[in-house]
Amino acid sequence: MIKTRIIPVLLMKNRGLYKGIKFKNHKYVGDPINTVRIFNEKEVDELIIFDIEASKANKSIDFDYLKEVVSEAFMPIGYGGGIKSVKDAENLFKIGIEKVILNTHAILNFQLIKELVKNFGSQSVVFSLDYKKTFFNGYKVFIKSGTKKTSYKPEDIASIMEDLGAGEIILNDIDRDGTFNGYNIEMIKEISSNLSIPLIACGGARNLKDFKMAKDAGASACAAGSMFVFHMPHRAVVISYPRYEELKKVLGEN
Amino acid sequence: MQEFIDLLREKLVEINEKPKRCKRCLMDETAEGIVFTETGCNYCDEFLKILDNPPKKINLSLEELVNKVKKDGRNKPYDCIVGLSGGVDSSYTLVKVKELGLRPLAVHMDNGWDSELAANNIKNLVENLGVDLYTHVIDWDEYRQLMQAFFDADVIDIELLYDNAMLAVCYQQANKYGLKYILAGTNSSTEGMILPRNWNWFKWDKKNIKNLAKLKRIKIKTFPAIGTLDKIYYEFVKGIKWISFLDYLPSYNKFEALEALQKQFNYKPYPYKHYESVFTRFYQGFILPVKFGVDKRKNHLSTLILTNQMKKEDAIKTLQEIPYPTEQELKDDIEYFLKKMNWTKDDLKDYLQRPEKPHKQYGSEISLWNFFKEIYKKINK
Ligand SMILES: [Zn+2]
Repeated sequence: MIKTRIIPVLLMKNRGLYKGIKFKNHKYVGDPINTVRIFNEKEVDELIIFDIEASKANKSIDFDYLKEVVSEAFMPIGYGGGIKSVKDAENLFKIGIEKVILNTHAILNFQLIKELVKNFGSQSVVFSLDYKKTFFNGYKVFIKSGTKKTSYKPEDIASIMEDLGAGEIILNDIDRDGTFNGYNIEMIKEISSNLSIPLIACGGARNLKDFKMAKDAGASACAAGSMFVFHMPHRAVVISYPRYEELKKVLGEN
Repeated sequence: MQEFIDLLREKLVEINEKPKRCKRCLMDETAEGIVFTETGCNYCDEFLKILDNPPKKINLSLEELVNKVKKDGRNKPYDCIVGLSGGVDSSYTLVKVKELGLRPLAVHMDNGWDSELAANNIKNLVENLGVDLYTHVIDWDEYRQLMQAFFDADVIDIELLYDNAMLAVCYQQANKYGLKYILAGTNSSTEGMILPRNWNWFKWDKKNIKNLAKLKRIKIKTFPAIGTLDKIYYEFVKGIKWISFLDYLPSYNKFEALEALQKQFNYKPYPYKHYESVFTRFYQGFILPVKFGVDKRKNHLSTLILTNQMKKEDAIKTLQEIPYPTEQELKDDIEYFLKKMNWTKDDLKDYLQRPEKPHKQYGSEISLWNFFKEIYKKINK
């Protein structure tokens, strides 16, 4: 096992996989079941799936299909998208989801995270902190798949979620999503230094060195989407994942 | 699942042991129009002729061809297209093309059935060679519906969908960049033996695909079909040539190619030809023999026998085995197939029992194709 977890992120919508840039212009990249199968064979330790429409379009969670996807996966899956209640989370755990990831409804209703933690333990409740630089007010937290701005600053919401009992925070820089510009290292440093729970860096990864930089900045895990899906310059879809030895070497772990 | 495996074993005995077989190769009476000759059969006789003198679209030496491609591609971002499936032939083509100093754009088609092997090989190759890649991803739901239409129609060539789309995307990309050459991994030494007419269907049949889609009210959105008239446009108006590149090499030996790929590119081989897609291996290794009585290995192994890459006794032994490394792998593929297609076991049973129907029954452009081919022949006399 590698101590710094390297986690592919898949974005789902209507049972297809998509990838965007800065949370926009989503391009179809393939079939979730086949992609999960490829990641199985690549011996990926953990996977994150976000339904990018559920919260935005106020849709219910597609449990039937998720069940199919999960049953194909050898690795634990964290799922985010449209989780509104303890019941939703319970149903997700029932079909084999390992961690529930909240964003919109955790912010609209602080009690939700608390209740989830009470029911299922903090290790299975994750908060996804999507943030973006705004024109006048610096960094702000966004909800509904990056379409709605809140008044919270990233550092404030991170500490609120930690206090509410979230087990992990995914720190996702919307402006870097899909850009291959590297992680926002400054933000990772700032947030992680004030947190005692694990932080997952997300948004902008382009190569293995970025994982190392994020790790050195305080991230416990690194998530990436485009890097594991696209080959540049044409954003050609080809699923990939670094080999274990490569990761160990770059991360300086034995 | 075991019943399906037993069924395959039974079927293989039925189609591989009874029919009269050619004394030189493995072709037998399951091949339409087979004529046994003094030396062998019409299939291997023809193959040996082709092997001696592969029909080349452009009658040039390798060096001349490379120079021509370079010259015609000057000032363009690329000078040729290489279709890349992840299999040995196309992978080796890309390696050679690059080695010879050409500037290819690799084109891949993703129909939702890529194996990890394919993805891995493609990624390794383009990265190590520094080649740009373009992938056309067909919406899986659309592709699944089209496949379902083909299954419902009981026609033999389900892979017509993939092959036709791959042709289409290669020509489209060549056209987009103003390139004249599609250098393909098609070749005479491993593929030069003509497939019997009853073993697959004509690959340029856009009409057949469209009609089958229409029958099921499927809207074609991301599937890139190509037909006879498109081909004429690309070839004769735009001057784009599809070239079986490996035929230009002094010799092409699959095992040597594989070794080179493994050594230099960490390439992972497939146990059988065209197994880079999960569906292709399931289709060739299970559906074709069980439903259509066709064991494609006969054709492929025959070419290996005739090119002295394999002994006939060994090839015959291979035919007695299921076309899968293990029964477990076949079981996994059946389960995966059912899941991907959203079928029950009974759906599969029902499908396997229904008799075959001809592609032509649904409308085809093969006569249009033949008509133009005749004209072309007359003009070029
Ligand atoms: Zn013969």
